[in-house]
Amino acid sequence: MNKVLFFAHIRDAVGQESLQLEAAGKTVAQLKAEIAEKYKLEKMETVMTAINEEFAMNEEIIQKDDVVAFIPPVSGG
Amino acid sequence: MENAINERYSRQVLFPGIGKEGQEKISRKHVLLIGAGALGSGNAEVLARAGVGKITIIDRDYVELSNLQRQQLYTEEDVAEKLPKAAAAKKRLLAINSDMNIEAIIGDATPEVLEERVAGVDVIIDATDNFETRMAINDISQKYNIPWIYGACVGSFGMSFSIIPEKTPCLNCLLRTIPLQGMTCDTGGIISPAVQMVIAHQTAEALKMLAEDWEALRTSFVSFDLWRNQYTSMKMSKAKFAGCLSCGENRTYPYLDQENMTKTSVLCGRDTVQIRPSSTGEISLEKLSAQLSVLGHTVKGNPYLLSVEMGKERMVIFKDGRALIHGTKDLIHAKSIYQRILG
Repeated sequence: MNKVLFFAHIRDAVGQESLQLEAAGKTVAQLKAEIAEKYKLEKMETVMTAINEEFAMNEEIIQKDDVVAFIPPVSGG
Repeated sequence: MENAINERYSRQVLFPGIGKEGQEKISRKHVLLIGAGALGSGNAEVLARAGVGKITIIDRDYVELSNLQRQQLYTEEDVAEKLPKAAAAKKRLLAINSDMNIEAIIGDATPEVLEERVAGVDVIIDATDNFETRMAINDISQKYNIPWIYGACVGSFGMSFSIIPEKTPCLNCLLRTIPLQGMTCDTGGIISPAVQMVIAHQTAEALKMLAEDWEALRTSFVSFDLWRNQYTSMKMSKAKFAGCLSCGENRTYPYLDQENMTKTSVLCGRDTVQIRPSSTGEISLEKLSAQLSVLGHTVKGNPYLLSVEMGKERMVIFKDGRALIHGTKDLIHAKSIYQRILG
C-alpha cells in the first residue's frame, strides 16, 4: 500500500489530508490522472509530486510502500 | 555615525551566521524585489531593517482597502490617496531606515523592464502574483547568473524555493509549463500568517545569500499549511531537467520572448481590453464562478463564458482563458485585474 498526501486545493477536493492506495507500479502521471478523474480536479500535470520527500518527475514509477505527496504550485503573493 | 550604525545592527552582528563581516557585505548588496503586495511589503521591511544597501521595487498597482489586512507597509492614508504601491513602500521604508537607497519603479515587470534593471543586482526576490512574471524572472536569473527566491501563498498554504543558477534546478525544470489556473489570493483568500511564514523563509535565505553564507542555504522546496498543520520539505537533487529550455544545455530563455507572454490589446472603439494568456488549456468556469460569488462579486455565466462585475470594470472570461475587461483602456491595469483572478 502507499500513503498519498494532499495539499492546498487538492486536499480540499479529496476531503482529507491523506489516503491509503495501491499505487505501486503506476507512474506519477497515471496516479495523477486517476485522482484528477475521481475527485473532479482539472489539470494535475503541473502539480508537483514528492516520493519519500524527494521531487519526482511525471514518468517516475511508484514503488511498494512509497509515500507520495501532491503539492500544487500556487501563485498568490 | 559609526557608533549609531554599530548599535543599529548590533543584535544581527552578534548572530554568528552574520557577524561584522556579514553585516558589511549585506550593507553593500542590491536586492531586486518584484512586486510590492503582501510578500513584497514584508520582504522589503525585513531587508530594510536588516540594513541592505539598495532595494529596487517594481510594482504596477496602487494601494486599495482590501490590501491592508496583510500588506504591512501600507496605511489608510495610502488608500485614500490611491498611492502606487512602489511609491507608498518607498515612503515607509525610508521612514524605517533613512540610510538606504530605495528605487521605486511604478510599472509592469515585463522581461524588458527586468533586463533594464538587473545590472548590479545580487539577489532577486519574487513577490509577484502570477506565474508568467515568475517564469520571466527565472529566465533572467539564468541568463544573468543571479539567484532568485520563489515564494507564494494562498489561503493558509505557502511555499518557497531558492533557485541558484548552475547549482539548483530552476522553476521551468519543476513546472515545464505555466499553470493556467493557479489559485490566487483573490480567488482562494489569504490569511496574514501564511504570508509572514513565506516572508520568513524568503528573507532568511536572502540574508544567507547577501552575507555570502552559501553553505547555510536550504536546498529543499518547502511548503506548509498553517491551518491544516501540514509541513513538508521536498529534496530537489533529482529535479534538474536536462532538456530544460531555461537552464539546460540548449537553453533559449523562452519566457523572455514576447511570443510566449500574455497578449493585451485595446479593442478598437470600445472601452475594453482583451487579454490572451500565454498558457493553453481549459479553465473550470464553474469553480471560478463559485469562488468569485463567495467573494461577493456578481457573476453571470453560461457554458462558454463568465461575466463578473468587479467595481468599475466588468470581466468576461472564456473557457480557454481569454478575457475581455470592459470599462478600461489601461493595458497594465487590465492585466493586473486578470492575473489577480487567474494567476
